[in-house]
Formats: sequence, structure tokens, C-alpha cells
Amino acid sequence: MLENLNQAPQKPQRVVVIGASGFVGRNLAQKLEQAGIDCLGLGSKQVDLLAQGSHEALAGMLTPQDALVMCSALTPDKGRGIGTFMNNMVMVENLCRAMESVTPDYVLYLSSDAVYSFDQALVSEETPATPEDLYGTMHFAREMMLKDACQAPLGILRSTLVYGPGDTHNSYGPNRFRRMARDGEITLFGGGEETRDHILVTDLAEILLLMLTHKSAGLLNGATGQSHSFADAAQMVADQFGDGVEVKTTPRANPITHRSFDSTARLRAFPELNLTPLDQGVRLVHEQLGPQGD
Amino acid sequence: MDKNVIGYAGMTHLGLNYAAAGASKGFPVVCYDPDPDLIAKLNQGDLPVLEPGLDKLVADNRDRLTFTADPDQLAGCDLLYIAQDIPTDDQGRSDLEPIKGLIAEAASHLGPRGHLCVLCQVPPGFTGALDLGPVPVYYQVETLIFGRAVERALYPERFIVGCPDPSQPLPPVMAEYLESFGCPILPMRFESAELCKIAINCFLVSSVSTTNTLAGLCEKIGADWQEIAPALRLDQRIGPKAYLMPGLGIAGGNLERDLATVCRLGDAHGCEVGVVRSWIKNSYYRRFWALRTLHEVILQNMADPLIAVWGLAYKEDTHSIKNSPSLALIGQLHPFRLQAYDPAVPVEAAGHPSISGGESEMEVLEDADVLVIMTPWKQFKEAVPERIAAKMKGRVVIDPYRVLDAAQCEGAGLEHYSLGIGGR
Repeated sequence: MLENLNQAPQKPQRVVVIGASGFVGRNLAQKLEQAGIDCLGLGSKQVDLLAQGSHEALAGMLTPQDALVMCSALTPDKGRGIGTFMNNMVMVENLCRAMESVTPDYVLYLSSDAVYSFDQALVSEETPATPEDLYGTMHFAREMMLKDACQAPLGILRSTLVYGPGDTHNSYGPNRFRRMARDGEITLFGGGEETRDHILVTDLAEILLLMLTHKSAGLLNGATGQSHSFADAAQMVADQFGDGVEVKTTPRANPITHRSFDSTARLRAFPELNLTPLDQGVRLVHEQLGPQGD
Repeated sequence: MDKNVIGYAGMTHLGLNYAAAGASKGFPVVCYDPDPDLIAKLNQGDLPVLEPGLDKLVADNRDRLTFTADPDQLAGCDLLYIAQDIPTDDQGRSDLEPIKGLIAEAASHLGPRGHLCVLCQVPPGFTGALDLGPVPVYYQVETLIFGRAVERALYPERFIVGCPDPSQPLPPVMAEYLESFGCPILPMRFESAELCKIAINCFLVSSVSTTNTLAGLCEKIGADWQEIAPALRLDQRIGPKAYLMPGLGIAGGNLERDLATVCRLGDAHGCEVGVVRSWIKNSYYRRFWALRTLHEVILQNMADPLIAVWGLAYKEDTHSIKNSPSLALIGQLHPFRLQAYDPAVPVEAAGHPSISGGESEMEVLEDADVLVIMTPWKQFKEAVPERIAAKMKGRVVIDPYRVLDAAQCEGAGLEHYSLGIGGR
């Protein structure tokens, strides 16, 4: 359950964003700037959480008045093995050690819906986390480490699949479909029957901003509540490019899985927040980037 | 020969209805409650609960009903029912201390002929653990339904009685009283009777949960649950009175308490109770159907909408707002403007910062962008969709219980959203 410790939104004195040069972190930094909130963006150049002694460097940058957002992780495109898993653990170990020296006012962790298994298609914040791979296990383990180490109120946002401009991950979904569409053909896994919830990166950043200003403690899923098949998502992308893009199916190699989100907790926590439907989001991205843009 | 004197301790919804039903069978009934203000109101004919037929039932049998806050008057009771409400927390856990106190006090005032019967909902093992010295103790299952309490009290389907030794006949006072209602009497051991009450509720919840699950599927695939339900009612294994009306989860508190009790007992004794936890989860999900629908069709598409709400009460024909789905919804709508009307509940009870009321259901439709019908009062069913459409600014009606006719709404140009029907 999520509890807004600030019933009315209040600007944090400063927000430290770890992973500020990443896909989500960059969008969050922009939101904070637009909201007039002081932001210290940290990438691996400013503090490399894999390096020895990095916890001391990070602690030196933190103050007890800061709200801290952790949205840095080595994503599956950087590797799905034990090495990547262990590096992700080291990053949060150093973060936790830094917080032993300086406890921020509030901590927000960007997690992933990979903590859920596909045994249950409709998930809510009450759904038990039973990750099916090392990536999901990594996020769940990080959540547990932060819960254990963090003395400040802790918010956790488990994000669904994110799309939008500036995505470097090229994961299966609208962004990859855009890249495929430029070559005139979007190729699906099987018939693209699987349903997923796709959230626009600016919407995800907006939820992070709301959690920061409301000092939201507890767990929230970052999703729209509307799922679409990959086939539909691909067609939405193809439609942006005119008639020349073909959506192709392939022989199915894996079983079909579905994922939908019960959005009740978000509606209750932030009743005035409106998220972008996928068709509108795909169109917005296309208008922003044009046919050739990423 | 004079009739035995029956007593009811606790002038609750349960106690008052059952006491009046007892008096209607010709028994003198002592109605005791430790609250003198409540007793004073009852003596003035001011009943604390709204229940169809109750005012008349009490008035018709007034000469056999004695309302008192004096426990000494319990001394003349041959059979005293304990009918106090048992408070529960939001986890469905009962606080049994108040009822233990009432039982001890009542038992200490009973005369040598007095028998005591626990009528409230207690967990298995409770009655058997009572030690009231010479006072014989029994347990009886109550099956109160808000809005139908008088009918249920006057015409019970059966009596389920927990006994210290079910092989022995019931004491004559109890047999005489229960037989006057003309229905089967099923004596059984305490634990069986206490679990029987829970079993009844579990079967009801299983029907409700199955209905709600499949009604939810109807909404997605374009089916209509109202077309399916009659076919199920004709199946003898399901039955004509099965709980097949889709709803906003289970509500009221008692069912939730029983589910929590089953989970707690199952866990303590190593029994598999996963299906019961699934019912709880399903109920929680369905509870917010109206909120999700409202967001989907109005709130995410419109700035500063004016929302009209019909109904605040927990259900029709009651003024109770405890566990009211309407108030649960309104509690999630604080940033928005509301206009609400309920025939029995004042609008202030909603506790909303921007809510206004009206003299009638039609009055609160003025300029509304959406109408949400959260309590299926009969008078709402008589509203004419054309008049609703003429009064409202918007076209959307969210009507979970199908108070209005969908086809008529459509004919009036309204978008009508209900539980269990798809294709919108």
C-alpha cells in the first residue's frame, strides 16, 4: 500500500537523482526543472557506484534534507547473467552504505514489474513478488536491501515497459517497433498476441514527481492500467509511418503470456493524474521525433 | 398458562428486529440495553434503525415489548438472547471483550429459570468456553440481512442451535419459542453451529465471487450477465435464489469477518484456505469498479467535472452507512466537485470537502457531467431516463446495479455503464 505522507504536495528542498543520464532519470530531471525543484543529477561519471569507495563519494554529496531517487540499473540489454546481477547488487550496496553516513529525508526507488511472475496476468501492489529471472530477482533484492538499510520513508515504483524518445535499451515494444518501421517491416514474436501495459516515459517521470512531492511511502506499480497486444502496439506504430510498413508475424517459439495492471492504487493515490493512452503516446512520440528519430 | 418471557440484551439492528418478531408470536419480550438514551428513544417509538416493516411490527406488538436499561428486569426472563454487535477491525478481527462483559452482566441478573443464548456472530469455540455457572448456555445462528431483517426474523428458513449436548432435547422454553416460528430446528454441537454460520456465509461469498468474476469477464468480451443468470437459476444445483447479482465485492463487515476467521483457523490448523484468500482479493478488486470506470470514462477526459451521486446508504431501505460502497467511492474523489442525494442519509455524512446536496435525486443532476448510482433505492428505479438526460449536462451514467434500464438510457442518448455487461 502507498501512503502519501504529504497530503498536499510539497517541493523537496533538493532531489538527488542517481541515474540522471539514463532514459527515465533524464526525463525526471526535466520534470523537476519544470517544477522548479532543485535537482542534483548523478550519472556514473559523477559517481560510479561500482567503484570501491563510491559510497563515501556519494555520502559526501548527500544532505539530510535531500530526497534521493535511485533509477540506475544495468538493464537486460547489458546482460542477463550473474555478472550483471552482481554488479547491480554492488551499486545498491554502495548506496545503502552511503545512507548509513547520511540519511536523506526521503528515498524513492525505481523498480520493475519484472518482480512479478506471469502466473497471474492481472497484478496489483498486493500481488506477491515471485521473479522469474535474475533481472526481476535483482530488483526485488534491491527493494529488500533498501527496506533494510533505509531509515527514511521509502517509496518503490515498479514500472511496466517504458517507451518514448531517448530510449537506449531497444527492448521489445513500441520503441523497437519504431526502429523496425524505418526499414518498412515490423517483425513480431509469433503473432504478437501477448498483452502488456506500456507507459510513456514522461508519464512515468510524472508519477515519480508526484511521489516525491507527496513523499509517498510504500509500493506503487507504474502502469497505465490498459494493456494492448504487441500486435496492436506494432500496428499503432506502423500507422504513424503511412501505408508502407508491414507488420509480420513469425512462428511462435514461446508460450503466450499476458500482463495487466489493476490501477486502483494509483487512482486512489493520485486521483487527478491522467496518463497517456498508448495510441496517443505513440502518435506524440512520432510527432516529436519524426520518421527517422529514435 | 402464561407464556415464557423472552429477553434480548443489546438493542442493535439484530436485537430489535428479533425482539419484535418474538413479541409478534405472543411472547412477552424484555428488551434490554445498557444505554439509557437509546432506551428512552425506543420508549418514545423512535427506532434507531430503518428497516421495512419494523415500525409497524414494533407498534403492533408494543404491549408485549418492554424496553429497559435496568438489568434487574432480566431476572424474569426464561430465555435471554445476547444480541450485541461485535466490533471488528479492518482485518476482520473481532473484539470479543464487550460481548463477554455483556454476557457476564446479563447472566448475573438471570433468575434460576433463566437460559442464555448467544445470538451474535462469534468464532468457533467461543460459546463452549463460556463458564456461566448454573446458567444453561446455547448458541443460535442469526441470518440478518439489512433491508430484509423483519422478513428474516419473522419467517426464518430454519433455526441452527449450538448445544452443550445435541443428543439431549432442547430445554422446553427454547423449544416452545423456536417452534412458534414453524420452521425446522437443527440442534448441533457448539462448534458445528458456530462454523455453520461461517459455512453459510462462505457459500454465499463463493456465489458472489463467482458471479463478480464472470460478470467482470462479461464486461470485457461483450457478454451480458443478466442473460446468463436466469439459465443458472434454472439449474437445480445452483438454484432460483442463488446470489447471482453482480456487486461491488462483498461488503457489510460480517462476511469479511467470517472469511478472516476461516483464514486464521485454517492457518492455525494447517488447512489449505487459498480459495478464501482469493475471494477476499476478488472482493477488494471489484469494490473499486465504479472508481475505475469513473476515471476511465470521465475523469481522465475532462477537467473539473461535476459528479452527481445517487445514494449514500450501505444499501437500499437502510440508513446505515457502515461499509457503504458509495462513501468508499466518494472518499476517493476529494479533488472533484460532487452533488449527492440519498432518501435516508444526509449529504454531510459523506465527509467530502466539495459536496452539496439537494431535495431530490433530480435536483442534484443539475449541470452534472456524470451520474453515478451507488445505492439501488426503489425511487431511483422510477426515474425516467429522458428526464435525466434533459437535466444533466453530460451523457454518462455509471449504474453498477442496473437501477435504470440500459435500453431506455440508450434511447435517451445516455451512455450507460453497469456491472456484468460488455460491448460499450
